[in-house]
Amino acid sequence: MSNRLLRPAVRPYLILATVIVLLAAVDGGQGRFLTIATAYSTLQSFAGFALVALGLGLTMLIGEFDLSVATVYGLAGCVALLTGETNPWLGILSAIAIGAGFGFAQGLIITALDLGSVSVTLGGLLTASGLSFVITHDTDLSANNLDFSMALNEPLADIFSLRSLVTVGVFILAAVTFNATRLGRDFIAVGSDRRATMIAGVGVKKLVLGAFTFSGACASLGGALLSYGLATAAPTGLSDVLVPSAAAAILGGVSLGGGAGTPFGIAAGVLTLTVLRSGLNALAAPPVAHDLVIGFILLTVAVLDAPYLRRQLTALGLSFRRRPRGPPQSQRPA
Amino acid sequence: MLVANQLTKSFGPVEALRGVSFSLAAGEIRGVCGENGAGKSTLMKLLMGVFHPDSGTIEIDGRTQAIDSPQKAQELGLAMVAQELSLVAHLSILDNIWLGNRAVPFLHRRVRFRRRAAEALRLLAVDYDLDRPVSDLTIGERQIVEVARLLVRDARILILDEPSATLSDIEIERMMSALRGLRSEGRSILYVTHRLGEFFDICDSVTVLRNGKDVATHQIAEINRQKLIELMLGRGFDEMYPEPTGQPPAMQALVISDLRIPGLVNDFSLVAPRGQITCIAGQVGAGAATIVRSLAGLVPEATGTVTLDGRPLPLGSIAKRVARNITFVSEDRAKEGIFHRSVLENVVAARLPRFTRVGLLSWRRLRRFGADICKRVMVDATRLDSNAFYLSGGNQQKVLFARALGGEQAGALLINEPTHGVDVGARAEIYRLLRQFCAAGHVLLMTSSDLEEVVGIADTVVTMYRGRIVAKYARDRINMSAILADITHPTAVSEAAS
Amino acid sequence: MSAELPVIPNRPAPVPYLAALTRNPRAKARAAVLCALLLFAVLTPSFLSMPSLTSLLATASVIGCVAAGMTFITIGGNIMSFALGGTAAISGVAFATTLNAAGLIPALICALLLGGLVTGFQGFIVGSIRANPIIVSIAANILIYGAASWITNNETINYLPNAGAAALQGTLFGVPIEFLAFIMLIVIGQIILTFTVFGRNLLLIGSGLHTAEATGLPIVRTLTGAYLWAGLFTAVCGILLSLRYSQANMEYALHYDYDAIAAVLVGGTPIGGGDGSMIRTLIGVGAIAMIQDVLLLHGFEEEWRYLVTGLIVLLVIILYSGRRG
Repeated sequence: MSNRLLRPAVRPYLILATVIVLLAAVDGGQGRFLTIATAYSTLQSFAGFALVALGLGLTMLIGEFDLSVATVYGLAGCVALLTGETNPWLGILSAIAIGAGFGFAQGLIITALDLGSVSVTLGGLLTASGLSFVITHDTDLSANNLDFSMALNEPLADIFSLRSLVTVGVFILAAVTFNATRLGRDFIAVGSDRRATMIAGVGVKKLVLGAFTFSGACASLGGALLSYGLATAAPTGLSDVLVPSAAAAILGGVSLGGGAGTPFGIAAGVLTLTVLRSGLNALAAPPVAHDLVIGFILLTVAVLDAPYLRRQLTALGLSFRRRPRGPPQSQRPA
Repeated sequence: MLVANQLTKSFGPVEALRGVSFSLAAGEIRGVCGENGAGKSTLMKLLMGVFHPDSGTIEIDGRTQAIDSPQKAQELGLAMVAQELSLVAHLSILDNIWLGNRAVPFLHRRVRFRRRAAEALRLLAVDYDLDRPVSDLTIGERQIVEVARLLVRDARILILDEPSATLSDIEIERMMSALRGLRSEGRSILYVTHRLGEFFDICDSVTVLRNGKDVATHQIAEINRQKLIELMLGRGFDEMYPEPTGQPPAMQALVISDLRIPGLVNDFSLVAPRGQITCIAGQVGAGAATIVRSLAGLVPEATGTVTLDGRPLPLGSIAKRVARNITFVSEDRAKEGIFHRSVLENVVAARLPRFTRVGLLSWRRLRRFGADICKRVMVDATRLDSNAFYLSGGNQQKVLFARALGGEQAGALLINEPTHGVDVGARAEIYRLLRQFCAAGHVLLMTSSDLEEVVGIADTVVTMYRGRIVAKYARDRINMSAILADITHPTAVSEAAS
Repeated sequence: MSAELPVIPNRPAPVPYLAALTRNPRAKARAAVLCALLLFAVLTPSFLSMPSLTSLLATASVIGCVAAGMTFITIGGNIMSFALGGTAAISGVAFATTLNAAGLIPALICALLLGGLVTGFQGFIVGSIRANPIIVSIAANILIYGAASWITNNETINYLPNAGAAALQGTLFGVPIEFLAFIMLIVIGQIILTFTVFGRNLLLIGSGLHTAEATGLPIVRTLTGAYLWAGLFTAVCGILLSLRYSQANMEYALHYDYDAIAAVLVGGTPIGGGDGSMIRTLIGVGAIAMIQDVLLLHGFEEEWRYLVTGLIVLLVIILYSGRRG
């Protein structure tokens, strides 16, 4: 068992590569999987929820959890179509503004009152859902500007589209910000040890607030792009986005306990899910194969990351190589 | 430069500070000393904006400042090495050194910062790879990284809260010469330590805290060690500690042989007889606390043979340990001592199955039992329904002791730092309780880094340094200076022991 | 041994929830809000006479079963499960399938067993190796829907004529069967939490996992048990849904997880665990149903009802939640 390859920092890419290699092997040179059409459809579904995964992943990285992305995503689609009747870009901008504002408000409640993020964003989830019902009067919307929808999905350089390019662009921007500025380091610090980070002089509350604002903005950009891409929006939301996004973030190496994860890792996590879906489609596998494979991988990740796995294996008498451990536990100052 | 006026701070019912005033001049190194619980760390955290004072003011350069966050403190030119380390294990040494530093711009240019971080480490005469994650470092190495973080802060007022507890003598000397260098640049330093000798090595003056008050401030030249101890204790030595009671025959005992914890403890053997207080003394990180944890079944990698009254006690099995009525009392009560529930539920937590009939609990019998054992550990029975989390440290500790009561046979108490976070007033009661447990025939095995406590309460002392036993002392041979020497720089054990 | 010791005079043991009400100021605020809601509801004309109340009650009760199950998970410190909606659906499908094949009693057993085992297994993973409960539940959710669509091809399973389930459909003494089942679960759940060693251990584990470990409480057994009960209660939801429509498919109970955890939180059980009760969940379910009913009676359109409910839930959560758990 090579610990190096299973390290959370490497694992997302390893899983992605394994999935691609396995699919190509199953395809066996029949040219169904490694095609431009599969790549295009992979990137199209990537654009579908990658941004939600990015925002959600960032809140997980700092040790919180933003449930509300599930419906902010749908709300943003409705807002975009309603306000973008004359100018779709205006629609997208207003959707982002609403989403960012929504995330900011939740972040403010969480930091100012020191509440748990799951409960607050659950309230946010129900409120955003209600809001989308109200602004659409409980009807499905369709975009009047079909040209724009076509343009969003128009293949560029064979495999990309405007929609997936924007998504990839946001990821690159996020990754650059994460690596080149102190934000990335500070986010990881907040996620892994909030008290120590606070004492070290980092403005923890501002970062938490920022993470929720970013998460809201990301979810709404993703939702708005999807609604224009499909030329429709519904108050019920167009798909269940929370579970795949959380799954992607976790596959992407974000730890739910906080303190681990990167934007590119999240991208790899999303790609794993979408490659599997498009690949299995291309190979004409039954749709359940996708769910079963993803579920299984996710469960494996949960088990591998479990803090007591080692202990229980030892108790069962299974031997394994011991990784050199950090300092032992008794080091709380007395 | 820095003036504190009548600072007070309470945590729930515990008054940690009751009006502390002092002033610090530019270029002065001020020692701060006091017993455990005297309020030293609380005072430092008030200055750093981690806690906010209930009343009193802090002036810097003659202006009253409200220090409401560590960022604000940094802005005012303060920096601190906190007692509990504040490094982030996931990040590299470099990132930790610069974490939270206001001088780091949004786009952190790495080259210049690398150089400065490397310089700071060199000043402390260590040569760590800056990209190693802090999780790879030992606790002593982490402490040095903390000091390096302090050095790059460019702060005018530096606070060091017990920086030396886990460092070797050489490391301490290097840190001190770095601090002297800072003093010559006109910076001021507040230096908190347990080791009285350090005050005379480095400090210009010393302030003594006792029971949340500043009792005296002296120039170091006009005071000696004896006087300092008297100021800290403020009372006769003997009132605090009850005499050992008549001891039952020490036929039965907890016997530990060849206990080994990889990377921390080597070949530890000890006999802890019933009816006596056996104390393992060592500094933080010496392994004493982990030994006690391993006996409690909480360290899975521990190996060795342990028997109680001749019957083997498997290491690593909490359930079997509990079945023998062996109670573990952690030094970290908030994390692994007290349930965030009522006192009643806390004291009966491990004994619930005894109070069932056809699978259902009898709350009437539970309450009666709980009230009874609360009375025996001197916890007010009217508090049965209060949330134990909000009791004072002393009462929490008594609640934990209560869990050992009510078993069918006398068992053992494994206690790490029995008076950690217990204010001075409540300590005498804790010690009295320890003696009562002895009289009832329990085995008492405790660790302590508080030397005065070790000397006062223990019947047998075992000293440890870096995972090895240095010496054993029976009651009539215990003396503070020998123990202090053992746990700080033993001559009997080679440095390479660990 | 305690018998021969002097009995210290003491108040009789109060019911925990009532005791909390009289002590904790937050609990007072909570009670005040609920009373205000109740008053508002009763002052609404025809609050108790509308036929819609029955249907609302039935719907609320079905979600309530999941909420009661979720309460075990939340109290034990495992936040929430994303797999309970799927578990309810798959239990309903199992119920309908077995009902057609073998009759009512085997169907009940099969559905409960399935729900209990699927969820109990998650509890075992969470308890034994401390796997992250959220990830485990998300994985389980995906696996449940995947497996279900594999086995059923996402078809709706209709009851055969004379399937023999009529005894459990409709109303009993004029009360919807869903409501009776829900109340029964609440009573069972509360007895488990208050009067069994398992229930008390669950509360203690939720209030401090490390403390529970150091004290030697049976963590694996208790957490597995908590999930097992959650699964059983959720299976009841699936059975009720199936009975209601005389059919079953995997679309049922979609997103009940969110509604359930909302009810648990509105009732005042903290998200961090270690406290809470079935009575609170009953109050939470009741409060949300009442809000929706009152809004309906006041002529709010459906979309506004969603929004106002969401806002009130948010408000109540903010008012109730203590510091992060």
